[in-house]
Amino acid sequence: MTITVFDAHTLPADDNVNPYAFSVDLQGQWFLQKGKMIAYYGQISFDGIGHGPLDGLVASSFHSPLHASDWVVASGKGRLLLADRAFDVNSYDLDDGNLTIRSGNLLAFDPRLSLKQSIIPGFVTLIGTGKFVAASNGQVHFVEPPVRVDPQALVGWADCPSPCHHYDHQYLRGFLGGVRHLTGIGGASGEEHQFEFTGSGTVLIQSTEKLIAEQATGAVPDEQGVPGGSPRWSR
Amino acid sequence: MQGAKVLAVDLTGDAVRAKNGSMVAYEGTMTFKKLTGGGNGLRGVVTRRLTGEQMAVMEVTGTGTCYFADEARDISLVPLHGDTLHVEASNLLCTEAGLRTGTTFTGLRGASQGNGLFTTTVEGSGTVAILSTGPAIGLRVTPQTPLQVDPGAYVAHSGRLTQQLQTGVTFRTVIGEGSGEAFQIRFEGEGLVYVQPSERDTVGGRL
Repeated sequence: MTITVFDAHTLPADDNVNPYAFSVDLQGQWFLQKGKMIAYYGQISFDGIGHGPLDGLVASSFHSPLHASDWVVASGKGRLLLADRAFDVNSYDLDDGNLTIRSGNLLAFDPRLSLKQSIIPGFVTLIGTGKFVAASNGQVHFVEPPVRVDPQALVGWADCPSPCHHYDHQYLRGFLGGVRHLTGIGGASGEEHQFEFTGSGTVLIQSTEKLIAEQATGAVPDEQGVPGGSPRWSR
Repeated sequence: MQGAKVLAVDLTGDAVRAKNGSMVAYEGTMTFKKLTGGGNGLRGVVTRRLTGEQMAVMEVTGTGTCYFADEARDISLVPLHGDTLHVEASNLLCTEAGLRTGTTFTGLRGASQGNGLFTTTVEGSGTVAILSTGPAIGLRVTPQTPLQVDPGAYVAHSGRLTQQLQTGVTFRTVIGEGSGEAFQIRFEGEGLVYVQPSERDTVGGRL
């Protein structure tokens, strides 16, 4: 295959270069996950979050304090190419909306959006209006609830309530299924457990069941009523 | 060409040089001969041993079609018209027999990439097949628009380019607040740089 050649002017502005690389027309600042920049034209500097001059920006659009060491801010003017281990990348526009995504899949976002740690461990939520770039293992498909999704295929969801677990009770309660489930002998089909989505919105699924490694989202505040927190004075 | 991960080469008595062991199938009659020293004879043996830019190459001759592939990596064809292509030995799949290969010193860039201080050059006129993880992207460099590339995403370059290592290492990197983009290679001049949409694990990338 011959290689498509781009220069500083023909690189797409805020669009995909190919299914695996995305070009950002940077005018100002963007948040990036560490190490996802592959090349750039122009004057761009990269700074770890938590530096003095970026405090204001971080305060307005970054609300995942313990997750901050995985992110950098690119500031300047130019074209910035992003990619992630040759996974498929896509950009999405949020219009006064919200989207929750697996932390490892999010590559970059426009600081007009704000990033928050989701109440679901391992996920982050983006709120507001703006563009973000996310990776998936294989192409992303959009489905609408009601839907049940394999846990490994789930990338994220937008606008609908958080999912709940669904177990195939019929199978687990049946004699053969029960024995298999308890002993592991004979193997389980691997499809007895799903995430169930209801309400209205969009669910994003990827076309493989191989996950992209998660990024630590940090521990949650240690207080009563916080899922995952360990309250000292409960019981 | 068969998709982007298998290279089909039609041979009519002529020869190509390919990465050792990259043949997956062939039709017709082919002979495979291991070349020592990356196909540069005794001088090649010595320089490649000295520089560590090891390249196991075989020469394929015959008539028919020969298919090459390497770990389902993407293959791209780069035409050369008397110019020089600089490419990492690990990214080189196949060259036409008329092309000359050699090694050059790359300086600090190689060190930051973990690929050693030397790189392979391919000179002459003909077609070169290069390997990349994900389809390669060509980026043109002009005197007005220099280009910065992450060392882990760099695959190859051609043209009259000067490269220098640019660092963003500050005291914050030392205290563990690095940007993850501590090193970049800056290309200036006139030419083409090929990058892949993924990064090798490099020393610089972990800072």
